[in-house]
This record gives sequence, C-alpha cells and structure tokens, in this order.
Amino acid sequence: MIEVQHLTKRYGPFTAVDDVSFRVEKGEILGFLGPNGAGKTTTMRVITGYMPPTDGKAIVAGFDLFEKPIEAKERIGYLPETPPLYPEMTVREYLNFCARLRLGQLSKAERQQRVETAMRKTHVDDMAGRHCGKLSKGYKQRVGLAQALLHDPEVLILDEPTAGLDPKQIMETRDLIRGLGGDHTIILSTHILPEVAQTCHRVVIINKGKVVAVDTPENLTHQLKGSATLYVQVEADGDAGAALAAVPGVRQVSVADQHARMTGFEIEAEPNVDVRREVARAVVDRGWGLLELRPNRLSLEEIFLQLTTEEQRDQAPAAAAEAPAVQEVANG
Amino acid sequence: MGNRVRNISAIAGKEMRIYFGSPIAWVMMGLFALIFGYFYVAYVDLVATAAMRQQFGGGPMKQNVNNDLIRPLLQNASVIILFLIPMVTMRTYSEEKRSGTIELLLTSPITDLDIVLGKFFGAIGLYLGLLAVTAVYVGMLFLYSRPEITPLISGYLGLLLLGGCFVAIGLFVSSLTKNQMVAGVGTFVVLLLLWIINWMADSAGPWLGEIMRYMSITEHFDDFGKGVIDTKHLVFYLSFIVFGLFLTLKSVDSERWRG
Repeated sequence: MIEVQHLTKRYGPFTAVDDVSFRVEKGEILGFLGPNGAGKTTTMRVITGYMPPTDGKAIVAGFDLFEKPIEAKERIGYLPETPPLYPEMTVREYLNFCARLRLGQLSKAERQQRVETAMRKTHVDDMAGRHCGKLSKGYKQRVGLAQALLHDPEVLILDEPTAGLDPKQIMETRDLIRGLGGDHTIILSTHILPEVAQTCHRVVIINKGKVVAVDTPENLTHQLKGSATLYVQVEADGDAGAALAAVPGVRQVSVADQHARMTGFEIEAEPNVDVRREVARAVVDRGWGLLELRPNRLSLEEIFLQLTTEEQRDQAPAAAAEAPAVQEVANG
Repeated sequence: MGNRVRNISAIAGKEMRIYFGSPIAWVMMGLFALIFGYFYVAYVDLVATAAMRQQFGGGPMKQNVNNDLIRPLLQNASVIILFLIPMVTMRTYSEEKRSGTIELLLTSPITDLDIVLGKFFGAIGLYLGLLAVTAVYVGMLFLYSRPEITPLISGYLGLLLLGGCFVAIGLFVSSLTKNQMVAGVGTFVVLLLLWIINWMADSAGPWLGEIMRYMSITEHFDDFGKGVIDTKHLVFYLSFIVFGLFLTLKSVDSERWRG
C-alpha cells in the first residue's frame, strides 16, 4: 500500500533522511520510531507529497507521489506534527472547508454528513461551534485527526497523534487508531515506546536519517534480549549470588539492587534453558525468602536506546549508554 | 476544469472567511471609509466653492463632476490602496507558513495553482468590499448631479486592475517569508518603488526612461480615469498580474524543494 524506496532528503549540506526504504502492507499499522530530529517528520512529509525527495521515491496506493500527486493525495489523510488549524474558524467551519478541499465532488449535505461523522469519531462534536484558536491542545490534536479521517482515506499518516493529550484521551486515540487498522493502512510516528507496542503491527526505528531496525515489536524485544534473563529478589545478602550461580543452566549472576536485607539478582541463563524452577528451589532450600521472580525482558525503551546509541558506544565503549548499570559478582 | 473552479472557490471562500471573521476586513474598510471620506468632503467642497465663484463671478470654466470630482477621487483611492493592500496580503502565505496550515493545503489533492488563484481571488474579494465603500460616496453624487457613467465604469475597472497588480505582488512577497510584518513592509516598498519609478524617467536617458515610464503603475492608470480603456494598459495590468502570480507559484514550488 505504501512503498518507500531509497528515499533521501537533503537540506543543503544536511542529510535529513538517508536512503530509507520500507513497505507497509494494506491494513497494517506501522510505528515510526526515533529520537527527535531523526527524520521521521521529513519522511512523512515526502510520503504525503508535502515536499519532493532529493532522491528515491514514495508510492502510495500505486501512485507515485511525484508523478501523480493529486491521485495519491486523494487517498491519504495526514495529521502533521502541529495540527493545521485556522484559529479564526470554528471547528465545524474548519472541517467543512477541509471537506470542500477533499470531497468537492459530493453534495453539501453529504459533506456535512461526513463532517459530523468525523467529529463524532474523534469526540470533538461537543466543540463544533468553538473557534479552533480557543481549543485546548488535546482538542486541537483531535480536530486535526478528524480532518485526516474526513474522507475515509486508504492511507493515514499521523505525526505524533497522541502528543499533548491527557492519559484518557491517549487511550481513546490509541483505541481509535487500532480500530482504524485493517480498513486503513496507517503510519504513525512517535517517540513514546509503549504506544508502539500497544498499537503497531510493525516498527521502523530510524536514527539520524537511517533505518536501524524493522520488525514487529515482539521480535524486536526477543532479538535484542540476547539470552533470557531473570530477575530474582531474595531476603539475603549479596553472597547468595554465588549459590545462585551454581544452579545448573545459569551462566551469570549479577546484583541488580540491594536494600537492607533484600537483594535483587539478575540471572542470565543458557540460551533456551528455563531455570526458573531450579532457581526458586535453590532459594527456598536455603531458607531465604523468595520475594520476587520474573523474566527480565528488555523493554522497548532499552532496545530503542541500544539501537539509537550504538554508534556512540562503538566510539567510546565506556560511555554511560549501557541501559541498566549492572554490577557483576560472579561468573558461571 | 470543474474541479479547478471548485478548489479555487474553496480556498477563496476560506480566505474571505478569515478576513471577515477577524477584525482585518472591518478595520480596513473603516479606515478606508474614513480617509476616502476625508478626500470626498475636501473635493466636494472644492468643486462647490468653484461653482459658487462661477455663479457670482462668472468664470469661464464649467464645472464637470466627472473631471473635477470623480477622477481625482479615484486617483486618491489608488493612493489609499497602495497603503492598504500590503495589509490585506501580508498574511496570505506568511501566516500559513508560520502556523503550519500550509501543510494542510499542500497535502490536499489540489494544485499549487489552485491555491495561488484561490488566495488571489480571496484578497480581491476583500478589495471589492473596499471599493464598495467608495461606491457609496460616489453614488451620493447621483442624487445631486448627473455624472457620466462610462468614465466611472472605466475608472473602477482601472482601480480593480491596479488592485489586482498590488495583490499579485503582495502574494509573491508574502510567499517569501514566514513573518507577516516583513511581508507587509516588503510589499509596501515594492509597490512604492513601482509607483515612483517614472519620476526619474526624464533624466534616465531615452530608452531606460521609456522602460521606467512603462513600468510605472500610475502611468497606466490615468487613462482609465479619463474614461479611456486602452488595450495597451489592459495588457500591461493583466500581464503584470499573471507575472506576479507566476512568481508566487514558483516561490511556493521552490519552498517545497528547500523544505
């Protein structure tokens, strides 16, 4: 549905996007992840036909944005980083104007029908008569979203759709986006990682204009985990580490945290070996209280940090980029 | 073609909505009414005094409403719009660029030309509102005298074309910057230069002087006030407008490339 091929965008000597390629299948929700300034917005602006690329191309629903811009744009709904609202217009006037731009072929009554539907979907109908300039950030964001949904486009490009919303609105917006997937193909950019895990089928991580990873959120979590680690908290002091390291299948034990008489250990097992039962037994047999035992997954945050800071770490191995600081106490 | 008209009218309607939904249009019309009204009273007084002197003193000149009143009034209106139109056009592109709404327009399934023309006709719509203010004053003359219609119509046509040139320049300057003030002042300076360019024509040498005289926006306005619609002037104004809009289009396009 969306095809980005070797996309490059340079602003003078500065390369904002460097040879980026990816595909989005019909009905898929793709998360576009990266730190600020990574090139997310620029890529989206090329896909929506706001600006032409320096090199490469973007094809939406079979139409090259550069060769058939009108046909492609008809099939795209776009929510830019700042919702493009006219403060002098009321919400309804604004959406009517957008409808005239996008659905000029429909009758006025039909257009108004679409406007009402879009307002209901994004929960802005109670603000229909309010001037856009007087809305709160959250409402502005949702009116922007209503504008993008107005023409029921095949492709939705959303640049940080939940920025500025309160937690309840974030949930509602995520539900709305999830509900739109399937019928619509969606690209959404964000730097909020749980958002990607919750809403997206696939993730493209971009840093400094380059794609550093493309995968499902689950696979990314698995892949980068290295070998599985466990977190165990016991009522004992740090010496207990040696005992845990002796458990068969355990490769390495380190102290993760320590308070008074409680110690948390990070246990790294041999690949594909489940050591939870053995570890639990070892703890109980020695009479220590077992306070907590859970598989320690790298969160998307840590993966993201790992991927996007890799370069710096190569240059300076001692840099503090290492996600959780772990103190090593024993080798198995 | 139907699409094009629809898109242009959508943009023009939006522009008008913003002009008339904010104080811009009303303040502008009020200011225009005030200044034009001042000129109006001054000229009516002048003509009335002359007529009275003629009645008692028996001067040789017969008073002519068209020549002595309407023509200088329209001439003055053209000076007022020189000040007002930069204020009309300064926000057209600058504000959209500053607030990010330009992204909405440029990612809509309409061409850049539709947007430029829509903005042009939107500003012309407000300008027609300004001209309507003058029509009230001029209309009052019909209550007390019998002005000729033809020079009146040609005079207004001249004003419309002149305003069209100003708007085209204003759009172009506005498309160059994100800052409304810069756009407004820039437009004013360009308009003023085009206004006075012929002042140096006599000392600029034969062919350069001729060009300077030709480029002067006012030189072409005189005949319209006299009731003469000369193709030469029509062509000048229309090509001026087309050129201004073409520059705007190119400016918007290059902005896309530069980002």
